[in-house]
Amino acid sequence: MSVNDVFLQLVTGLQLGAIYALIALGLTLIFGTLGVVNFAHGALYVIAIYAAVVIGGQIGFWAAVILVPLLLFVVGILMERGIIQYFYDRPHTDQILVTFGLALVIEEGAKAIFGANNIPYPIPDWGTGQMLFYGTGATIPGVPRFEEMPQVWMPFIEGMLFYPSWRIILIAVSFLAIGGLFALLQFTRFGLVVRAGMRDSEMLRFLGINITARFAIVFGLGALIAGIAGVFGGPITQVTPDVGMHLLVPSFLVVVIGGMGSLPGALLSAMLLGMALSFSAEYSAVQQIVIYLVAVVVLLVRPRGLMGKKGVLE
Amino acid sequence: MSATAENAAAAGAGQNQAFLSCRDMHAYYGESYIVQGMSFDVPEGGIMALLGRNGAGKTTTLRTIARAHEPTLKQGEIWLAGQPLHKMNANKAARAGVQLVPEDRRIIPGITVEENLIVAQVAPGTGWSIEEVYEHFPRLAERRRQDAVTLSGGEQQMLAVARAMAREVKLLLLDEPYEGLAPQIVQEIERIVEHVKSLGITTVMVEQNAIAALRLADTAVIVDMGEVAYQGDAQEVLDNKELREEYLAV
Ligand SMILES: Nc1ncnc2c1ncn2[C@@H]1O[C@H](COP(=O)(O)OP(=O)(O)OP(=O)(O)O)[C@@H](O)[C@H]1O
Ligand SMILES: [Mg+2]
Repeated sequence: MSVNDVFLQLVTGLQLGAIYALIALGLTLIFGTLGVVNFAHGALYVIAIYAAVVIGGQIGFWAAVILVPLLLFVVGILMERGIIQYFYDRPHTDQILVTFGLALVIEEGAKAIFGANNIPYPIPDWGTGQMLFYGTGATIPGVPRFEEMPQVWMPFIEGMLFYPSWRIILIAVSFLAIGGLFALLQFTRFGLVVRAGMRDSEMLRFLGINITARFAIVFGLGALIAGIAGVFGGPITQVTPDVGMHLLVPSFLVVVIGGMGSLPGALLSAMLLGMALSFSAEYSAVQQIVIYLVAVVVLLVRPRGLMGKKGVLE
Repeated sequence: MSATAENAAAAGAGQNQAFLSCRDMHAYYGESYIVQGMSFDVPEGGIMALLGRNGAGKTTTLRTIARAHEPTLKQGEIWLAGQPLHKMNANKAARAGVQLVPEDRRIIPGITVEENLIVAQVAPGTGWSIEEVYEHFPRLAERRRQDAVTLSGGEQQMLAVARAMAREVKLLLLDEPYEGLAPQIVQEIERIVEHVKSLGITTVMVEQNAIAALRLADTAVIVDMGEVAYQGDAQEVLDNKELREEYLAV
């Protein structure tokens, strides 16, 4: 494998990992606070991509960037307050059934409105091209097609190579969103209360905090992140009603591998899975099962996942 | 004034105007019937020792008063200074002035000592400022930036009490505050409890070490199988060997 191949596969791994991370962080955040495995989380992504297509097509892409995450925040809070809150005292199986049922309703609803096939996503012009990476000794041909591309110089690259701009944008936006989420949790009072609540929600109630209300906001935040994933991930994952389910399974594995309820764990394991998928792409037989292989190996060595804490889901 | 009148009315004619008044409490863990019709009063500013054997229902009683989600109070009333605690959930009760210092201390792991105190001051109704807490507990000041789980047992107990005092407390519920602590630390906690009393705060204290609790307390309630077996002066329990042998094994 040449240096260029390794670089391309690293970037692809990051891009795959970024989408899984956005979905898995929402899942693990909701699980860590509310103790619910939200099987409707993939369906939130479905709502987001269709909302992005509609709003992007009607008003414009930047409107979708702002409105879709906000819409998903509201949808998340309505979902939690309207349905899921009534299942906290019920067995996990009931929670799985109700969230899975919700996912099916949303998927079928999308199918009824938009059909089962992929519909085109209106990517803005500036996001449609390629990005050019070049190394020492590379001479960029004096053709306008090349000169107008966004260009990045990387000393280790041999000659030059191209990568779709939109995927780079997706990686950048994902890391911004993830950074924002971590900053919110780490550096704000709201974040402190949520982190404390993840460890001992009852004690926070004894200290006068209405932790239920904050956890509903957390649910909304998880949905908001799925909204960001939908706006930027739609063109890559396709816009179909069943894409939510396709994302949910690997994202759930990401959560388990990372350790249920652990945000850094989810991020780490999303990247691990992204890389595993990317570097096994040449061997399609392996790629089909590679995420399960990673899951088996990690869970054999660390039954609580990479960064799982004692007592969670035990 | 009207609050006190309401309290007296709720407690029934002829009752004293207790600060904390528990009337015929019945509380369940799921199907398990644990608190079986307990009634007792605590006068304002006093210390009440809540005693009884292992599994008698002391912790359950405190959790019922603090309005924990479990046990569920299926019948009965709890009044604190005219406020109906029985109609509240845990966070409302806390804002009404109830502070439970649980038996396993429940220091929040993964955040610092100071963050444990900050969390106590998020909801409206705060008491000691963080600086005041540190004046009373210099040891916590030294360790303010440490992860709270790195504290020793005694320090964790101090943090648990400090965290309660960081809120505006009317009723302090202490569940086995001396458990597992060295005699020196026990003395330190005793001094704090006395200081809390000097501030006019009402305390209910559950303690395995009945003698130690009774020395501090004004009144005592002995629980047996979820019922009140004795209610009266703390001194009387200290003097009554039979009572102590029957219910406290001391
Ligand atoms: N979460 C629970 N679910 C069901 N039963 C419980 C629960 N917690 C306590 N119990 C039962 O309730 C009864 C009273 O327990 P409780 O903890 O109130 O006793 P205690 O007087 O505090 O005892 P100890 O001195 O051991 O702390 C016991 O029989 C106990 O087994
Ligand atoms: Mg107990």
